[in-house]
Amino acid sequence: MKKSLLSVSAILAASALTLTACAQAPSSTPSASGSTSSSASSSASASTSTSAANADFKACMVSDSGGFDDKSFNQTSYAGLTKAKADLGIQTGQVESTDAKDFATNIQTMIDQKCNVIVTVGFLLSDATVAAAKANPNIKFAIVDDNPAGAAGLKNFKALVFNTAESSFMAGYLAAAQTKSGKVGTFGGMKIPTVTIFMDGFAQGVEYYNKQKNKSVQVLGWDAAKQDGQFVPEPNPFDNIAGGKTTATNLVSQGADILFPVAGPAGQGALQVAQSSNGQVNAIWVDTDGCVSAANFCKSIVSSVYKGMDVAVFDTIKAAQEGSFSSDPYVGTLANAGTGLAPFHDFDGQVSAETKSELEKIKSDIEAGTIKITSAAQPK
Amino acid sequence: MWKDATVNEPVSSQQAKPAPSHQAPSHQAPSHQAPAPQGLSLRGITKRFGSLTANDGIDLDIVPGRIHCLLGENGAGKSTLMNQLYGLLDPDEGEIFIDGTPQKFANPKQSMAAGIGMVHQHFMLVDVFTVAENLVLGREQGPFGTLDMRSARRTVIELSERYNMAVSPDSVIENLPVGVQQRVEILKALANDAKYLIFDEPTAVLTPQEIDELMAVMTSLRDEGRAIVFITHKLREVRAIADDITVIRRGAVVGQPPRDASEQELAELMVGRSVSLKVAKQAPRLGDTRLVVDHISVADDAGTVVVDDASFEVKGGEIVCIAGVQGNGQTELAEVLLGLLPVLHGEVTLDGRSLTRLKPKEVLRAGVGFVPEDRQHDGFVGTFSVAENLVLNQIEEFSRGGMLDLGRISANAEQKVQEFDIRTQSISLPVNSLSGGNQQKVVLARELSRPLSLLVASQPTRGVDVGAIEFLHKRIVEERDGGTAVVIVSTELEEVESLADRIAVMNKGRIVGIVPAGTPRDVLGLMMAGIPHDEAVAATRATPADPNQEDA
Amino acid sequence: MTESPTPDRTARRPVRLARVDWSEITVTVFALLLAFVIGAVLMVIADTEVQQKFTYFFARPGDALTASVDKISTSYGALFRGAFGGIGPITNTMAQSAPLICAGLGVGLAFRAGLFNIGGQGQAIMGAMFGALVGFKLTGLPLVVHLPLAILAGVVAGGIWGGFVGFLKARTGAHEVIVTIMMNYIAGGLLSFALTQALFRRPDRADPIAPVVAWNATFPRIAGTQLHLGFLLALVAAFVVWLVIERTSLGFRIRAVGSNPSASATAGMSVANTTMVTMALSGALAGLAGVQVALGPMSGATPTPLTAGLVGTIGFDAITVALLGRSRPLGTVFAGLLFGALHAGGLVMQGTGTPKELTTVLQALVVMFVATPMLVRTLLPFLRARRARRAVPAVASSGGLA
Repeated sequence: MKKSLLSVSAILAASALTLTACAQAPSSTPSASGSTSSSASSSASASTSTSAANADFKACMVSDSGGFDDKSFNQTSYAGLTKAKADLGIQTGQVESTDAKDFATNIQTMIDQKCNVIVTVGFLLSDATVAAAKANPNIKFAIVDDNPAGAAGLKNFKALVFNTAESSFMAGYLAAAQTKSGKVGTFGGMKIPTVTIFMDGFAQGVEYYNKQKNKSVQVLGWDAAKQDGQFVPEPNPFDNIAGGKTTATNLVSQGADILFPVAGPAGQGALQVAQSSNGQVNAIWVDTDGCVSAANFCKSIVSSVYKGMDVAVFDTIKAAQEGSFSSDPYVGTLANAGTGLAPFHDFDGQVSAETKSELEKIKSDIEAGTIKITSAAQPK
Repeated sequence: MWKDATVNEPVSSQQAKPAPSHQAPSHQAPSHQAPAPQGLSLRGITKRFGSLTANDGIDLDIVPGRIHCLLGENGAGKSTLMNQLYGLLDPDEGEIFIDGTPQKFANPKQSMAAGIGMVHQHFMLVDVFTVAENLVLGREQGPFGTLDMRSARRTVIELSERYNMAVSPDSVIENLPVGVQQRVEILKALANDAKYLIFDEPTAVLTPQEIDELMAVMTSLRDEGRAIVFITHKLREVRAIADDITVIRRGAVVGQPPRDASEQELAELMVGRSVSLKVAKQAPRLGDTRLVVDHISVADDAGTVVVDDASFEVKGGEIVCIAGVQGNGQTELAEVLLGLLPVLHGEVTLDGRSLTRLKPKEVLRAGVGFVPEDRQHDGFVGTFSVAENLVLNQIEEFSRGGMLDLGRISANAEQKVQEFDIRTQSISLPVNSLSGGNQQKVVLARELSRPLSLLVASQPTRGVDVGAIEFLHKRIVEERDGGTAVVIVSTELEEVESLADRIAVMNKGRIVGIVPAGTPRDVLGLMMAGIPHDEAVAATRATPADPNQEDA
Repeated sequence: MTESPTPDRTARRPVRLARVDWSEITVTVFALLLAFVIGAVLMVIADTEVQQKFTYFFARPGDALTASVDKISTSYGALFRGAFGGIGPITNTMAQSAPLICAGLGVGLAFRAGLFNIGGQGQAIMGAMFGALVGFKLTGLPLVVHLPLAILAGVVAGGIWGGFVGFLKARTGAHEVIVTIMMNYIAGGLLSFALTQALFRRPDRADPIAPVVAWNATFPRIAGTQLHLGFLLALVAAFVVWLVIERTSLGFRIRAVGSNPSASATAGMSVANTTMVTMALSGALAGLAGVQVALGPMSGATPTPLTAGLVGTIGFDAITVALLGRSRPLGTVFAGLLFGALHAGGLVMQGTGTPKELTTVLQALVVMFVATPMLVRTLLPFLRARRARRAVPAVASSGGLA
């Protein structure tokens, strides 16, 4: 350490300091309550009595192996937690899982940190969450994207699921209305229910359009009858953007001009294909409003099927904190705006008024139950 | 000059007293002579590695226009000394002078600049480059870092003409025979205009003919006024070419005998005790025919036939030497006997049992002892201990129920180390840490430690020092006298002459002829070049005066 | 030194001397220190709150320094607590390390035979798959039958997966590195596919997730801790590997073929057979690692059900563990424990707001420094003086004196 390392670190430190370290020190008034006051101040709107109670309340989250920066459901769910911290002035804790075998350990870590409510993300954590809920009846648990049968009767367990088949149905109708080639394409990250539910709804939306308009728009990439279709190649299909691009290119070469990628970040491959097509090919994004989460692709995004995991998580935490937590599963639907079609943004002018009103009609028909969507993957 | 240190050395090394090298340096500030005003002078060079003194106060004068032979056994400290001269190692004490001026060489570049050139034992050439490319390597002299290939080619042509060294500048190194590769090494040194040329064991890799050619080159370099340092442990070569001789033993100069000292004198000085250069060997007591090699042909991986229809027989109690220049199929012939190579056709039988399609393991079980040519590569596992290597091919016999019988492995090792005088501090040291001679003793001890029907030994004494050669030869003869059939593959005519009862000479995969022991060396030499025995005899009669025929 | 004329032959010595190399231990300790120092620097740089305080460093250095020290001590404190702070964390460390030790032993064993088994991942996947399959498919068997059967199924599956590579190499000369990498992909794909099939999928679910392993096929654990049979199995495996390598004729052949295949062939050993056997054993050990994750109970008391990602990156971490452990069983145990501790502690360190990536960086730094003693010695010159004495005789013995 004597010469080489010390000299290097000294140079580094010196240069860092000369660049940044000449600013004025802040006045040293912050009192002993410094750390809590900063979080309390953000919830200034809340009354003082509740804010003290809120500061004692701790909401926690455990990701699956994707981590909170997966640009997909972990990240959206995590947004609900950060919103709860900011808006409710509560404390939060979180652990990202690197391995499937860490799930239980991570939930235990959150329990040890005295969390009042623990939200886990993804069906992979299902068993571990149910087990933890059984062992810790005083802690509230919620899981995003799964409604495990084993949790029936548990008072402190809430499933947060989304009937995205409904919104995807609208996306299918929209795609069928917008296609010029008469072919639309979809692909998934993995053949799991949370993915295929989108594809089912999408295909049925196209079918409905064909029936209404007496057209024959084709769906590529998903065979609803066989429940099989196009998926991004392994490994790590949800992260495999290049694989997503290959899959999208394949669909485009078969004639599809509207793409509906249901593959998390890998779906960006489809956006890249759309962006480089000079407007020939466009896409409908999923999970979030693509014009917000992937703004640079907005020009190619007709609309998005959002899945309000952040809202669901926030509401669950809020309910737990207010004492109104219920173990009834939360099912995001068009009716409760837990899922739906995002704004058209740049395509607002290109989607005809007729289509827009038909979509409104479909929305209310689905809500009313006049239009029935059937998908094996739908939450029950 | 002739300061003999041999007198008080014990005769047998077995009860030798502790080596001086293991004590603190005994010579304190020896008075060294002033450096010579001309040439390269070493004064009091001392180099220690931990507790080992590799060079102990060495004085040496290397004079232009003379060939200075540096003679010593493996491990005597010759290479260490030369590595200091070449800037690869720093002396702990002492100084190097050139023409009376002290020098410091921090790296080979500085030493080359001072006019020192080295022809390494293991060539420092890039195999896939041409001769000319190797010449410019490391000293790209063109402007802007370009390679001046034209002048490099010219240099190769000029130098090889001047010294009669037939080297084409455009040949790729890996396609050249070893002898020519060595000439490229020499050219590299000469292209640097080296005034002091160090040849580190240059003859170890050469055939007899190539050795003659090398000696001619060395002589002509000397005659131009360059100084040559010739490192070797081969006495015949020293006698043939040396102007000055310095003998080093255990890191110290033990004598500087005159150039007409006899081989016996040189050997005793080198080893430190009296040695016999001739194997004490009775006439063979021949038994029944044991090994029959019947029209064997072998192809290498590329499909080239490397052993071509070879046939011979060996009787119990007989040593048959396979003589030939390196690379004429002897290696493959030996490997076929062990079952390492598949035969194209033909049959090998030992005591009436066919070995042709047996695996090496089965051949070994059938009582065949095998000493491979390249012991580093094939003979032992260098990272394994002496004890482990001594049971390398008999591990099943030294285990019980799959578990190693460590007690017996140890006991076996202790006994073999005693019996074969393997010099190691412990049987648990890796064989890599042993000298070449002792490594070979490990291999030979292993192969001779079980009842054999056939012993196949390739180059049994290559790279082994004089003292060990005597011992190894004695053991091989003892094995013969026990009734074993012995096949020795050797490229060293001395070895062939001292061991063989009959000699089979190979050339280009064929056995040119099988001749009795005592066949003159020049006849063997011609046969090794592919000339049949009768013609070879006729040819030597025509030119009786061969300067290389002065046997000691 | 090698030409000593009076070798001490009177004293009987064991065939192999266990030599403790203190300089190597010192370097390892400093390698760890160095990694933690660099980790601390990164931690400070990565934390925005502490960064904030550095902007006015010259005006009031105390703030920045206190904040840095706080940050570093809470993070490393959490790391330490998560790894060793009490019976829970300690047993968690042990549980985390168990599969790494097993797979590391496998990779290390292959190294000893001169084989680079990058296929630990695939072999562990097969081990987990078949261990779990036997674990959840069979019901009603007593623990003493069911558990060994499940373990055996996984070990054999891993062994076959590895042995096949050995077979290909022995018979065709196909390079094991390429083949094992491809076998990893095949195993991963096979698992993903299998999870969509009725045989593996949980009956009441559409997700690719397998049923929970039967209680009688779950590793028994000490109640209230995370210490389960797996760690014991890992230690037993380490001992058995040591025994095989150092004390059996098979191990002798493995080591011989590993250090000098041509000399081994000349000595009558079958390089091809040794390769096959070694790869099968190596695969079996990786399979055991897979069994560990499939049957080892986590804090929820039941094992994590088989999913596509269950095995994580064990097969690849095992390579580092084996390298770190210098391919020696004892070393591998310690390297596995170190990795287990970093992993267990890293999870807790996340709770202090230190990103989990830093644990990964820390792991990489530790491995990098421990595996490259030369680098540590260059960075820390005072370690070099010791080395100089040691290294030179080694040079000398390898021909410097010839």
